[in-house]
Amino acid sequence: MRSDFVAHEVLNGLRRNVTMTIAMVLTTAISLALVGTGLLAVRTIDRTEELYSDRVEVQVALASDVSTNDADCSQPICQGLMTTLKNSPLVESVRFESQQEAYARYKQLFAGQSLADVVRPQSLPATLRVKLGDQAAGAAAVKQAMNGQVGVRTVIDQRDVVAKLFDFLGGVRNVTFALALVQAIAALMLISNTVQVSAFTRRTEVGVMRLVGATRWYTQLPFLIEAVVTGVVGAVIASVGLLVGKFLFIDELLSGIVSNGVVPPIQVSDVLWVSPILVMIGGGIAAVTGYITLRLYVRL
Amino acid sequence: MIRLDRVTKVYKTSTRPALDRVSAEIERGEFVFLIGPSGSGKSTFLRLLLREDVPTRGTITVNDLNVAKLPRRRVPRLRQRIGCVFQDFRLLPNKSVGENVAFALEVIGKPADTIRKVVPEVLDLVGLDGKAERMPNELSGGEQQRVAIARAFVNRPFLLLADEPTGNLDPDTSQDIMLLLERINRTGTTVLMATHDHSIVDSMRRRVIELDMGQVVRDEARAVYGVGR
Repeated sequence: MRSDFVAHEVLNGLRRNVTMTIAMVLTTAISLALVGTGLLAVRTIDRTEELYSDRVEVQVALASDVSTNDADCSQPICQGLMTTLKNSPLVESVRFESQQEAYARYKQLFAGQSLADVVRPQSLPATLRVKLGDQAAGAAAVKQAMNGQVGVRTVIDQRDVVAKLFDFLGGVRNVTFALALVQAIAALMLISNTVQVSAFTRRTEVGVMRLVGATRWYTQLPFLIEAVVTGVVGAVIASVGLLVGKFLFIDELLSGIVSNGVVPPIQVSDVLWVSPILVMIGGGIAAVTGYITLRLYVRL
Repeated sequence: MIRLDRVTKVYKTSTRPALDRVSAEIERGEFVFLIGPSGSGKSTFLRLLLREDVPTRGTITVNDLNVAKLPRRRVPRLRQRIGCVFQDFRLLPNKSVGENVAFALEVIGKPADTIRKVVPEVLDLVGLDGKAERMPNELSGGEQQRVAIARAFVNRPFLLLADEPTGNLDPDTSQDIMLLLERINRTGTTVLMATHDHSIVDSMRRRVIELDMGQVVRDEARAVYGVGR
């Protein structure tokens, strides 16, 4: 196989259909940028889940009489609950937070606000703070075990609060993937069409190639490579776009929740992690589309 | 070397067979005219030899290869050993004379230094030395056909198929092209030429296979085009 010959043919083909090539590159780039955004959302979701799995607890709030009368969880009711929780294989650890400790934390949390002055220690429940060993099944098990027990006021799963955040991130992911899919269909059709046009404009060359005994690979490879080149160029543009988008929009958009530690920031390394995936998707899909088009629609 | 045994070709769109139980044998180094009116099956004859198409019935053997049964992936190798020339030259308009000839070698993967060596040789052989840089549209019809012959011959085929190569040329130019084909034939390459041109066939006195309505109606050595045709 003469690589210089194939390269020459590819370059010529791309140049000859320059408007079509640009349309194909741009459509592919937009589609892949959306895929990239979706992947970044997925990555952020994973990171956020990691971030929260350390912090998120199930809180078993104790009834007010228990809270007031038992300052260190030494009495039977609290001890019983504690033992039940500790014996569960789904639970990693249990920590008792007394009314006084809750009050101190509350004051710190709302320092300088009038709310801090209104609250007295007695109005806050003592809690058993449960760290789960099994994130998936643990919360439900703890709820089931604790709800309705003597001395338990309520069970709060902090993940219910965090779930809203995940819902939002998941929504971002779904919307971008849906848009990416629509764009991808457009990109596929453009690639297929471009390959056909390209093969048609070069039918004389291809005819001569067949006549003198060029193999199928030799006649088809330039078209395939053309498709792959546009796919890869589209992916590179998409990656650059994501990087620019990160600095121009995403950083700003997320700055509030990132500085609060709600969501981990999107790093340059995240974009760099996504871009080779985009290149593979872009090149791979273009190659497959090109190949199928040549097989089905172009007689070479 | 070439052997057709009761070859029939029926195209789907036609009721009458394009070739009807055609048998013929052509030896290595022969020069054969394939004549007959339009639609008599000359082009189908050539297309089947090139495996552009497969016969409906019968067998075709080229160099001990059963052409009709040849697996698809082996077809390119067959075509690499057969040169082809057409009435309309089929040159690539955006490539120079030299590039057109080199193209035939490039696409079958010949190394660049071989190409640099043999292209000038073959251009010299067909009488186009010094014109390698010219573009096809700067050449006369006769010169363009020489380029096409150079391209067909550059890989030293054992068989040269020519489908009305002088159809677009004036009589003098046609004579020059025939001299060139004769010269190529003298190197040992078998030449099979489909033509309508009486005067050429009459002056060359070579073997003539005449087709009519898809059947061989005459196969005669050192023949003429035919009386009253």
